[in-house]
Amino acid sequence: MSIVLANVTKRYGSQTVVKNVSLEIGEGGLFVLLGASGSGKSTVLRMIAGLTTCDEGRILIKGRDVTHLAPQPRGTGLVFQNYSIFRHMTVAENIEFGLKIRKVASVQRAKRRDELLELVGLTGYGDRYPHQISGGQQQRVALARALAYEPSVLLLDEPLGALDVKIRAQLRRSLKEIQRRLRVTTLLVTHDQEEAYELADRIGVMDRGTLLEVGVPEELYHRPRTLYVASFLGGGTVLAGRVANGLAHFGPLSLPIPAEVPHEEGASAELLFRPEHVILSSDPPASNGPVLGKGRVVEQTFSGAARRLRLHLPHLPSTRQVSPAVAFGEQGIVIETSIPASAPAPADEPWVSLRNWAILGQAPPRLLVIDTGSGPLTSLHTASALAGPMRASVIVLGYARGDAPEDFRDTVAHRAQSAELNEAEVHIGTSDLPIQIATESANTLFDFIILSGNPGAAKAGLKPDVVSFLEGADTPVIVVAAEAPKRFERILICTRAGEPGKNDIRIGGRLARHLGAQVTLLHIQQPELGEQPLARRHLEMASATLSGLEVQNTIRTYPDPSPAEAILREAAKHDLIVVGGHGPEVQSLFSRDDITLQVLMRVPCPVLVVPAE
Amino acid sequence: MNPPVSVTTRRLHSPVFPVSMLVLVLLPLLLLPLAAVFIFAFRGGAVAFLAALKAPDAQFALRFSIVMAFATAAVNAVIGTFAAYVLSKYSFRGKRPLNIVVNLPVAIPTVVVGTSLLLLWGPIGLLGRLLEPLGLQPMFTPAGVLLAHLFVTFPYMLGAVKPLLDELETTYEEAAYTIGASRWQTFWHVILPALRGGIFSGTLLTFAHSLGEFGATVMVSGNLRLRTQTAPLYIFAQFEAGNIAGANAVAAVLAVLSFVIFFFLLRYAVRPTRAS
Repeated sequence: MSIVLANVTKRYGSQTVVKNVSLEIGEGGLFVLLGASGSGKSTVLRMIAGLTTCDEGRILIKGRDVTHLAPQPRGTGLVFQNYSIFRHMTVAENIEFGLKIRKVASVQRAKRRDELLELVGLTGYGDRYPHQISGGQQQRVALARALAYEPSVLLLDEPLGALDVKIRAQLRRSLKEIQRRLRVTTLLVTHDQEEAYELADRIGVMDRGTLLEVGVPEELYHRPRTLYVASFLGGGTVLAGRVANGLAHFGPLSLPIPAEVPHEEGASAELLFRPEHVILSSDPPASNGPVLGKGRVVEQTFSGAARRLRLHLPHLPSTRQVSPAVAFGEQGIVIETSIPASAPAPADEPWVSLRNWAILGQAPPRLLVIDTGSGPLTSLHTASALAGPMRASVIVLGYARGDAPEDFRDTVAHRAQSAELNEAEVHIGTSDLPIQIATESANTLFDFIILSGNPGAAKAGLKPDVVSFLEGADTPVIVVAAEAPKRFERILICTRAGEPGKNDIRIGGRLARHLGAQVTLLHIQQPELGEQPLARRHLEMASATLSGLEVQNTIRTYPDPSPAEAILREAAKHDLIVVGGHGPEVQSLFSRDDITLQVLMRVPCPVLVVPAE
Repeated sequence: MNPPVSVTTRRLHSPVFPVSMLVLVLLPLLLLPLAAVFIFAFRGGAVAFLAALKAPDAQFALRFSIVMAFATAAVNAVIGTFAAYVLSKYSFRGKRPLNIVVNLPVAIPTVVVGTSLLLLWGPIGLLGRLLEPLGLQPMFTPAGVLLAHLFVTFPYMLGAVKPLLDELETTYEEAAYTIGASRWQTFWHVILPALRGGIFSGTLLTFAHSLGEFGATVMVSGNLRLRTQTAPLYIFAQFEAGNIAGANAVAAVLAVLSFVIFFFLLRYAVRPTRAS
């Protein structure tokens, strides 16, 4: 291995610009580090060159640990976007500079300089000054200067970024040719995916300091694991659905989940298909490939070799569009596709099926936290305690009914910071709570929504908008009381007398698995009903499901005439209570003697309400 | 051949009036006083002019001034470039106040500079009091004059070099480091050549100001003829003594020297980075 990064981290103040990046670049390869500006890709390159120190981790060049070495002894060749060739030196002097520093005799220097001038196609330009040659030529000089002293590795920081399109394409080709000829290990940093495809043996994609994925270009294009890589490396449609019974469901499609991208039951799953993977046909497709349904062409654009189409499909049940974005106020699915310009125009309402598709890796859980911008930070603290071990991404919804004060966003952001939710996104909403949450959910598929039952006090008397939201919720909701536990170690799942909700077990189990918590399955036996063999069987199945998720669990049977009292008694020993909610179909079930509502109102710890199936 | 449109434009905005107005304003302000020096210097003819210059006091004053100007320019070229480098390349606490302090000499009246130097180095000054018993007394000696000139001209070097350093992207230095050049080699081969133009014009400015310095010099030199009397002090002394011809001869030489320096400044130092 020519370059090895092991768990490299870089911080500037409180901001982590490179997070735990590990990477190996093989001898003679051309590796492209791809990312948007601010992704930390240039910082990685600078750390390899020794121009920036790293806070954690190790860097090896050709087997030598250079982590704490100054730039000079590392012997890297670096080319900057702004060329940075020395203006007061001629082209020849620039190229010879590294050799002069190394005290190479002038005869050999001249020989090497001529070789390099020829290599980069600038023979005869040796006596020119930088201001006498073009930008493309200056960058060739910079390349020759970096290669002159036979560097251990070649580092290129957006080398073509400052050049115009035509020169860029030319230089890209010569760069590739030179690299192939010299077989010098090269790391190139760019934000241009086309450049990455054309040059790279392997590509690594970075986003906000994290190296998301590494692979050969085709593999990353066809089978990305993350949504970011999928959309950064090309267009296409991404739909979100859910996993049930080992299959990923997206409306009418039930697709097998490849072994490389394991998904948990009940987790959300994302389906990607590229524009060229869509088949349009005027008759229902005969093949048994995945069929999305009948669509309508809404837009056609001619773009030279291809014709780009935009189609609308009717809304698919329990499926959300992730990208491309759907226009506000529209339902249904938007699909982007392209057909060769020479192909006959498609029917106005063609059938849409898929030639090829990929299921993205299971995304980290996403949490939505509601914060009112005042009162205790309990819901934020709860989110923080959950997000850490779950590695969840968090959106904080600052919610102020009616008018939000001017500095409301800052207030909410500050509160999130003080609850150690440093990387959370902050959104602001002012309409009714259920509407606001629905808006957020339309953009992101959340795994859990966290809100405070009644900020500032115990939950006695839930706020009416919380109740109305819970009645219609189709996402698991965690209602937080006055106190937020620091760690979730013991979870109580309350099963219904008749049949334990499968969802309660699945979702509670998933949460317990992420948190490494123990689960108590509570079964309340109503004495007047006597022994219930069916209930016992359900409990055993639930326990088996939990064991399958590698969650430690115990069954506790409680004979009690009043289920709510029993739950309250058990609750004291647990950090989180899981109860079944009511599905969106059955309205107004939160009557005064409803168990779920009683638990919500009286239990001091957070309560997870799982919607009915 | 101008197209008719631009002809009409030119007629509408004829430069004759504003330019002649400007010349009229400048005539009494700048041009006539300068002319007067030369007219007076040569009123007695070339022979009298040369004779006035040949006076030993005049000879000494001119030579002393030129030596002082060279010394000041040389010392400030080094210290000023160093100051510019530190202020441009490092970030540290107190950088802003330090930036203000190094530029302060521009704003302080030169007589005040002379006074403050006397209060520090003079026989009763803070440091001078301690040095006196050792036989070290910088005031009223050429060393005192040099100290005064260094103080007064310090910002000129800085002002000429620091903008160049600020503009010089760090990637040049970084490129040199990765190529293998040490900090010193990088400074010598990469940074310093990029500053050549700035150092040149800074040195010329320092030289010119040192040549004409009066306020601080008169305080710290004691105006001792043939020992610490610079050309401007000589001119003033001769005027007071009524030797107007002698004063004017030296003044004319100073003026010519200044013209030459400014010619070089305008010719070579306006766009220093473009000069190859």
